[in-house]
Amino acid sequence: MDKNQEITKKEDENIEKTRELYEASPTVDIYENEDEILLHADMPGVVKDDISVNIDNGTLSLSGVRKLASKGLANWEEFSDVEYIRSFSVPQTIDVERVEAELKDGVLRLHLPKSEAAKPRQIEIKTA
Amino acid sequence: MFTRVSDLDRLFGTMSLLQKKLNNLNSGYGQSSGYKWEIESNSPRTNLYENGDNFEIHAEVPGIGKDNLNVKIQGNYLEITGTRNSDAPEGYTTHKIERGMGAFSRTFTLPADVDSKKVEATLKDGILYLTLPKSEAAKQKKITVS
Repeated sequence: MDKNQEITKKEDENIEKTRELYEASPTVDIYENEDEILLHADMPGVVKDDISVNIDNGTLSLSGVRKLASKGLANWEEFSDVEYIRSFSVPQTIDVERVEAELKDGVLRLHLPKSEAAKPRQIEIKTA
Repeated sequence: MFTRVSDLDRLFGTMSLLQKKLNNLNSGYGQSSGYKWEIESNSPRTNLYENGDNFEIHAEVPGIGKDNLNVKIQGNYLEITGTRNSDAPEGYTTHKIERGMGAFSRTFTLPADVDSKKVEATLKDGILYLTLPKSEAAKQKKITVS
């Protein structure tokens, strides 16, 4: 009898439930020119506040959490709440201070400017 | 009778190959390898919810403006078409292109007829939200027991 009571008590404590969040890697396009590296990542349904972009020791990590409001009974569900995670190695020559990010229509666009020292330089040849 | 070791090895080799293939099939949510089996990679993923008198369709359409999306409805037939234009900037070299582009089309047969005049469509954060009210004939009716 005593044991049974203990078990019911435990159940009551367990009110908080966490839902497992899927992890997915977003699809990206990467472009580069002399001044910067450009990264476009698809993150549909993610709002600005739920995105984090970190650059640390040559690793760029993106993370975005999508929270969808569930509406009624699902007949089919091909996408759901998800955490978009992906990391990239970036060259040390990226000027971390000047990195810019914008989010529009579920697409994250990152501008990673190269530091002045890393830009290609035309060497002028002097005639003797 | 002896079984040669090489035969056994080959048998196990085949099994692990099969297992790898199966693992790749369910390699997790949203990953392109598993996902391509279900639908054409370029067409958007959708959810259909039923909510009393309405159907709700949500579709992932990142980076597509409302001018490039078309929704057609007839009875219980729904068609979402659109074009995703490349947003590749000028004068850049390309390292990687994973995001699909071009035209896509998806058609659905809804579980019941909808009232096409009252359909509402909104686009937010790269997701298209369609609210499709059921037609009068398809709505639930309460029957009182006499």
